[in-house]
Amino acid sequence: MKEFPVPVQTAEDPSVKKQSGNIFSNVFDELVRFAQSRSLFMLHYCTGCGAIELPPAMTSRFDMERLGIQPMVTPRQADILLITGYVSVKTLKRVILTYEQMNAPKYVIGICSCTVNGGMYWQSYATAKKLNDYMPVDLYIAGCMPRPEAVISGLRQLMEKIKIGEANSWQDYFKRYDYYLGNQQRLFGETWQTPTDIIGESKHYSLHTPETEGEHTRLLELHQRPLEPLEMRLGLSEKTEDR
Amino acid sequence: MHIGLGELLIELTLMPLVAFIVGMLMVLMMRRVGARLQRRVGPPFFQPLYDIIKLHSKETQISHGLIHDIGIIMAVGGYIAAETLLPVPGMNGIAEKGGLITLLYVMMIPSLGLALGVGQCANPNGSIGISRALTAMLAYDIPFVIVMAGVAFIYGTTNLVEVINIQQEGGIAAWGAVQMPFMALAGLFALQGMLGKQPFEVYVAPAEIATGPMVEMGGKYLGGLFVMQCFQLYTASVLYVTLFLGGGENWLFLLLKAFAVLLIPISIAFLFPRFKTDDLVRLMWKWPVLLGLIGLVLINYR
Repeated sequence: MKEFPVPVQTAEDPSVKKQSGNIFSNVFDELVRFAQSRSLFMLHYCTGCGAIELPPAMTSRFDMERLGIQPMVTPRQADILLITGYVSVKTLKRVILTYEQMNAPKYVIGICSCTVNGGMYWQSYATAKKLNDYMPVDLYIAGCMPRPEAVISGLRQLMEKIKIGEANSWQDYFKRYDYYLGNQQRLFGETWQTPTDIIGESKHYSLHTPETEGEHTRLLELHQRPLEPLEMRLGLSEKTEDR
Repeated sequence: MHIGLGELLIELTLMPLVAFIVGMLMVLMMRRVGARLQRRVGPPFFQPLYDIIKLHSKETQISHGLIHDIGIIMAVGGYIAAETLLPVPGMNGIAEKGGLITLLYVMMIPSLGLALGVGQCANPNGSIGISRALTAMLAYDIPFVIVMAGVAFIYGTTNLVEVINIQQEGGIAAWGAVQMPFMALAGLFALQGMLGKQPFEVYVAPAEIATGPMVEMGGKYLGGLFVMQCFQLYTASVLYVTLFLGGGENWLFLLLKAFAVLLIPISIAFLFPRFKTDDLVRLMWKWPVLLGLIGLVLINYR
């Protein structure tokens, strides 16, 4: 069987166990991590059938808000990106754009077996099979579909991970951008680019490693077109006037 | 009453701080009441605090430019300034120097700051949201100004400290709500609009324009807006209590009254859908204005 590189970090990683000697800053970090674990804004990207299990998890029967989890509507505000089901190639582009816009610490949760291994869409030509090839996934909730209890117990596991400071896989996207970009390019073609400058951001947040750049990012630079601001204009566009 | 500079500085620090803590409790109450109306348990006690800490501890942050930053500072700072103009039991701050009209001006700064900040985000949803927010402000400010005029007329002063004193000396019969019930009713409409709660929630509208002004706000920016929301709930409800319910004899009564006042818009909010923007303006310029004008006429025949 082919060995897949596992992108999820473990506690043995030296970057995780970063504790300074100052007791006050340790207490402060702990407080921040506790607050982060008890307040999770969730952006649900409801792609497949798993979406149907979320309303019961959020409303009166299971009530996620008592755990501090509430839905949010834009990627900028959200902490969790919830992918609930199969991701087609076209959808995956939007998922990656959404993911890159979120503010870290950000967590990705894949719900349903389709995000784990393609599920019943294994033979489909149009779906991405493993979500963690394209972005670091913190947690998978397997099942077809997982019941609300399973969703909530998965979210509680994520909360525990955040509390002990192990939910750091968002850093992996900066640290090993080349790997993720390579997988994205394999699916979307060589000209794939996103509006977010991940390499620049990784340098800015000092998460730049030798694996951030590589052959795939060189390919990206080759094809990258600079982003231009959209022209803002009032009134009718020229196209309409021609008619 | 004359107080020293040091005492004044302590008051100016304490007033926004207390307002923030009470405001967080108000946010908690809002979310709990919403949860109970939907037969849910609701968030834990410290949830507003967790949210604010979490949002301010984000590790990556995207700023759209200087005005984006300044806009948020204006939004929070406007309310912090408003708190110092709002007398509470034991602390008057600079309320005697300011008065009602200054407070009215200062309470508009947050909306304008938000408009500036959102403008630089260049997000179409944000622009629609902020245009709606300013339209809504135009809508609820007309009855609000009429109410202010009535209050100034009936008490003969725009000084909030004196307004409170007059009401407390006269007992319940001297309360604004008893003296001018129509005005109090119009004020409730303005309060609902000011808080942007559901029938008048045109500019947040999560399902339609993706929370409008908040659409590009993440991390510390959203944290700033959460802090602003605490101040907003506090300012609006305490101002209503000051004008119509005799202010606070002590902190217990002030908080009881403020929370009771806030319960009205919150309970309405979770039971109703929202109006369209033009319907909001039409409603605001028709019924509360009518009520306010009737109230103004009745004041003359007291």
